[in-house]
Amino acid sequence: MGASLLDAVLAETLDPAYAQAAAARSSDGGAPRPRRWDRVVVALTMAVAGLLVAVTYDQAAASVEGRDEVRVALVDDIRTDSAVSDELAAQLESLRTEVTRTRDDLLAASAVGQRARDALARAEESAGAVPVSGPGLLVTLANADPSADEDPVGGGTAEEDPREQVQDGDLQLVVNALWAAGAEAISINGQRLGPTTAIRFAGEAVLVDFRPVTNPYEISAIGDPDSLSAEFLASPEVGALAVISQTFGLRFEYAEEEELSVPAASVPELRSAVPEGPDDPAPDPTPGG
Amino acid sequence: MIPILGLAAGVLLGLFFDPTVPVWLQPYLPIAVVAALDAVFGGFRARLDGIFDAKVFVISFVSNVVVAALIVFLGDQLGVGAQLSTAVVVVLGIRIFGNAAAIRRHVFRA
Repeated sequence: MGASLLDAVLAETLDPAYAQAAAARSSDGGAPRPRRWDRVVVALTMAVAGLLVAVTYDQAAASVEGRDEVRVALVDDIRTDSAVSDELAAQLESLRTEVTRTRDDLLAASAVGQRARDALARAEESAGAVPVSGPGLLVTLANADPSADEDPVGGGTAEEDPREQVQDGDLQLVVNALWAAGAEAISINGQRLGPTTAIRFAGEAVLVDFRPVTNPYEISAIGDPDSLSAEFLASPEVGALAVISQTFGLRFEYAEEEELSVPAASVPELRSAVPEGPDDPAPDPTPGG
Repeated sequence: MIPILGLAAGVLLGLFFDPTVPVWLQPYLPIAVVAALDAVFGGFRARLDGIFDAKVFVISFVSNVVVAALIVFLGDQLGVGAQLSTAVVVVLGIRIFGNAAAIRRHVFRA
């Protein structure tokens, strides 16, 4: 049964109606039919077929073109918006500096104000709200180089082994070990880690404080270089990471530096806490993602 | 000769006037084209076989296009549109190949 169905499809490629029509004509004795109309109708049908082909081709070409256009437009949007966001961040930074300076000037006027300013300065340092510099340890983590023994044919598009890439967990591990070793301030690729900063994965990118950082990852930790490196290396997690990075070809280096500087962390947004005031509307909680 | 002129005229018309197709019809155009090709190859072969009939050709063309689009439409409604499209393309593709082979035998005697 199954074979006969396939046989029928393969054998009867011509519509049997043609043969039947021919048989009917010959049994009629080949009565002459109005040939002119036949030709017109056939030509019209062929024109419809051509039209169909042309329109379909147009549609397919236009949709490919449209996709490209949309993609280019989206990429442009992303570029513009990140430029705007960078600009706003710079603006925020300068305004914040101005606020700090004004506040310090005002507080310096009285003894109480000076005490408050000192307390505030200490709190800001621990909260990572001010840029700091000093000696410390510079740890570098980088993805494995594209291995030379990969298949040269599929090399361009081959899936990369996720273990050959630095993961958020690796960075978290290094950062935790650095804190445990007594680091006073840490930044990853110039992103300061504040008390509420998260190190996460989003797709292929590592996010520090919701901003993407890219390979290679340079982790600057400020603290006493000697004790910092001694305790950092003594930590069992770092030993495990060293083994992992050797196995998978990750680059994992560290160096003691005389002078490292880390920028200020972004001030955490207040999500539930509302400053007391008569005119404050309900807070606008931004989801953390 | 006249049918080929008609085909060329249709292609030129479509390319020059670039008619807009309603969005709901767009998914069925490719399958309709395959069905139309099947009817055209069948008609050409019938002509070479000497049994061409205008009425059969026109009816087979229209019904091919409509039925192919209808099957895919039905499949879309039932959630198997992609599979039914494949089925239609396979069956019509086999027929197109068979007819093309018959035409080749007529033209080149091989």
